[in-house]
Amino acid sequence: MTKLEAVIQPARFEAVKDALIEIGVEGMTVIEVRGHGRQKGHTEFYRGREYIVDLLPKVKIEAVIPDAMVDKAVTTITEAARTGKIGDGKIFLSRIDDAVRIRNDERGENAL
Amino acid sequence: MSSEPQPRGLSSSGSPIPNQPADGGLRNFYRQEFDRVHRDFVATGSGLAALSDRTRLVDKLALTLWEQHLPSRPRCGYALVALGGYGRCELFPHSDVDLLFLTEDEEKRDQIKEGVSSICQQMWDCGLRVSPSTHTIADCARLNQENIEFTLSLLDCRFLAGDRLLFDGLHEKKLPELIAREADTLLQALSSITEARHHRFGKTIFHLEPNLKDGPGGLRDCHVSRWIGMILALVAGNKPEVVGSSKNAAASAVLEAIEFLSSIRCHLHYRHNRDDNNVTWSAQEELAARGIGTGSGPLSPAEWMRLYFGHAKAVYHDSGQLLKQVMEGRSSLYRSFQHWRSRVSNSEFSVVDGRVYLQQAASARDAEAVLRLFVFVAKHGVALSAEAERRISEAHLRLVETMPQDQSLWPYLRDILTQPQAANALRAMHSLNLLTHALPEFEAINLLVLRDLYHRYTVDEHTLLAIDVLHQLKIDGDEVLRPFAELLGEVEHPELLYLALLLHDTGKGLEGSDHVYSSLQFTQTAVKRLQFPEEDARMVAFLVSSHLEISSTMRRRDIYDPGTVAELADKMGTPERLKMLTLLTLADIKAVNPDALTPWKAENLWRLYAATANHFDRSADIAGLDAGASRGAVERIIGLHPLRRSEILHFLDGLPQRYVLSHPAEQVVQHFRLSRQLATEVVQLQLQPHSGQCELTVVTTDRAGLFRTLAGILFGWGMDITKATAFSNSSGVVVDSFYFKDRFRTLEVNPSERECFLRSVRDILLGEAPLEKLLESRLRGDRQPVKLAVGTRIRHDNECSARNSLLEIVTQDRPGLLHTISSTLTEEGCSIEVALIDTEGPLAHDVFYLTRNGNKLTSEQMRDLEWALAGELSDSLPTW
Repeated sequence: MTKLEAVIQPARFEAVKDALIEIGVEGMTVIEVRGHGRQKGHTEFYRGREYIVDLLPKVKIEAVIPDAMVDKAVTTITEAARTGKIGDGKIFLSRIDDAVRIRNDERGENAL
Repeated sequence: MSSEPQPRGLSSSGSPIPNQPADGGLRNFYRQEFDRVHRDFVATGSGLAALSDRTRLVDKLALTLWEQHLPSRPRCGYALVALGGYGRCELFPHSDVDLLFLTEDEEKRDQIKEGVSSICQQMWDCGLRVSPSTHTIADCARLNQENIEFTLSLLDCRFLAGDRLLFDGLHEKKLPELIAREADTLLQALSSITEARHHRFGKTIFHLEPNLKDGPGGLRDCHVSRWIGMILALVAGNKPEVVGSSKNAAASAVLEAIEFLSSIRCHLHYRHNRDDNNVTWSAQEELAARGIGTGSGPLSPAEWMRLYFGHAKAVYHDSGQLLKQVMEGRSSLYRSFQHWRSRVSNSEFSVVDGRVYLQQAASARDAEAVLRLFVFVAKHGVALSAEAERRISEAHLRLVETMPQDQSLWPYLRDILTQPQAANALRAMHSLNLLTHALPEFEAINLLVLRDLYHRYTVDEHTLLAIDVLHQLKIDGDEVLRPFAELLGEVEHPELLYLALLLHDTGKGLEGSDHVYSSLQFTQTAVKRLQFPEEDARMVAFLVSSHLEISSTMRRRDIYDPGTVAELADKMGTPERLKMLTLLTLADIKAVNPDALTPWKAENLWRLYAATANHFDRSADIAGLDAGASRGAVERIIGLHPLRRSEILHFLDGLPQRYVLSHPAEQVVQHFRLSRQLATEVVQLQLQPHSGQCELTVVTTDRAGLFRTLAGILFGWGMDITKATAFSNSSGVVVDSFYFKDRFRTLEVNPSERECFLRSVRDILLGEAPLEKLLESRLRGDRQPVKLAVGTRIRHDNECSARNSLLEIVTQDRPGLLHTISSTLTEEGCSIEVALIDTEGPLAHDVFYLTRNGNKLTSEQMRDLEWALAGELSDSLPTW
């Protein structure tokens, strides 16, 4: 099993979510986050007040998926989240040893 | 204190308890009897009977184990006592069983320790969730501040077995003494606990998936009423009597509600096989389909929920009234607060103990007097007295018949909507079935349950909460929401915003339709009936029809993309619409559920607002009257004067979109008419009231220093300019508008001064009188202390406009500021092509579109200008 963490533009979230559901990724955790990578912040003004926008809004999607689905999920996310501009986000992948479904104690991929 | 209520007997089919029950035998006995009680409940649907049956079953079990492990003698010094729901004989199928092992002293407590442990262990083994406690009678006679709930649970104590005299000592003597001694503390604690519990549920009964036990209007509220009644009876030296706040029809409604809620909670326990009291959507479907609690067979889930809300309302109202009465009567602090409130009484309404009464009984039959009552409630935050509610209910038919429906209703509705406690006043109206008669469009969402993953409340309650969200902005002090609170203070017509909120979801009541479209239809019907002026009607319709626009942009678009911002600005049309829709969006999101408006969302909303507001300021010189929203505005203007179409288009040629979109069509036509008179009189003036201020419009031919001169004249007359705009068309006709406060009430107090003022403006503009003379007296003594310092910031942008250089100034507002700035601009050789002047408290925010000799300013010229302005504005007072 693989844990997939995708940090994407909020505006692309619905497209990414729908695309993931379409390929069979049904369980996911979504977190509203702020951050930046190479896309650094900038300064804005409103009525003379300065707003330093150094941490930009992003949406983080977390999902644990069977290994067989990883490539497809990554492709799906990149296609749905890509705008071609700086700040489109990142995908992180990491190994997961086991999973437990609390309701009935199912283990491994059966618990996903 | 429970006066030993007798659980109803087990039915004749109840099994006898085994004589020598082994563990397994006792467990089987309990299981069989538990199942039988369940079957009886399914057959009869009576929750109260099921509670009594289970109580008796647990009694049998407890007594059997007591005899096994702690056989009693008449004066053994210990007793078995039922507490809480068990003491009340209200054991729901999976409720905890609260047991008190009462001892006369600590020695006895140690003696029975082993027996207590065995009894509890075996009850656990039978599947009962036992909550045991062992206390001496002295422990019980003391108030433990850390565990006031224990003393409250003693109110429901019931003797089961053991030393009867010991129990009587507690029940008849020690406990009444404790209650009498600590009544104030107990009532205060009960009030605080209840307040905190209600707060967890957003202080409303109108949840889509309510909690039957702890939610407002749930069974815990019934217990609160019961405990208050018992405490008051004991304080008075009487036998505790279990009643609600009244013994009339309301009390009967509460009893019916208790029966209903008990049946539903039983059903939920059996359904979920645990102590789960949430009426989930699937549970609602099942309860409705089986007609549980209806007394009339199956209902639709929506109808069933309406039935539930009716019962919850009776309970919530009863316990709330009782709690208020008690706290009012006992707290000196509350009394002094209420004394202040009583001073708000007037010839129509009196406030006694925080409740408002009608001075004349006949007023309850007068629809306008009743509407004034709701305005009073919205203003002062007082609750309707039970008597006022009763009188209004009795006169309901007449009120419905005489309720104003047309423009005579709007002043009342407006006054309610704009007062701080608007939501409570509207709830009171709604509760008395008057809101839907005043505003029939609201009927469609009355107690409407719509199921989605986000909304927690019924649609009507969501709407009222949204109105409350905006009012709370002014007092919340939440740092994230502070900018929105300031924004609300800038809205020119908040009443239109509140009305739009009241109507924004009415379309949800029409099944299968696009709710935004349906809400717009309802809105148009409402504003037509209320006979709104066209501009106001259009504003409310815009807000309702666009109420998802900003949240949709936040969700689907990159809010930092200039294209997104420009598109949103185009949809909004004017900064005022943007402000109002931003606030409506904030309120709409926050009223979905307590967690819906995360700081993340609030910050994104603010940034999108700020970027779009900045876009408006940076694009104010864009013409293009045939594009987007301005095309419709132009057609509306021409529609008012169709025979002058080509002349109007000539007048509008060169004027920016901002001018057309930010002025009502009627006003643009007035400007057009003034421009046609320029051939005979080169200065055309119009002075009229505007939102509590004055508006001076000057239509004339463009000339150097015009804006500076006008700002100087107003300063010379002591006027405080709060807003101003300056636009010009391709033919060199200028339309300058100044909104100002008449600080010394010169024009108001002396009607003749109005003509004098206009003559002064005309003479100075025509060069027939000197401006300097007018300014002399003002410059001598008009100095005011600065209350809140605002730092000066000057920024320029040479990229945002193809023709003009943009200059933005934020500085401390002060008398004559605009004259100071515009004089400096003139002295530096600049022409003001467009000016957008605004103030917000102590802050002045001015945006100028400038040219010099018909061109943009060079970098060097702009730097010189900024230096000159910085020199002028660095002092806190004008420096001419």
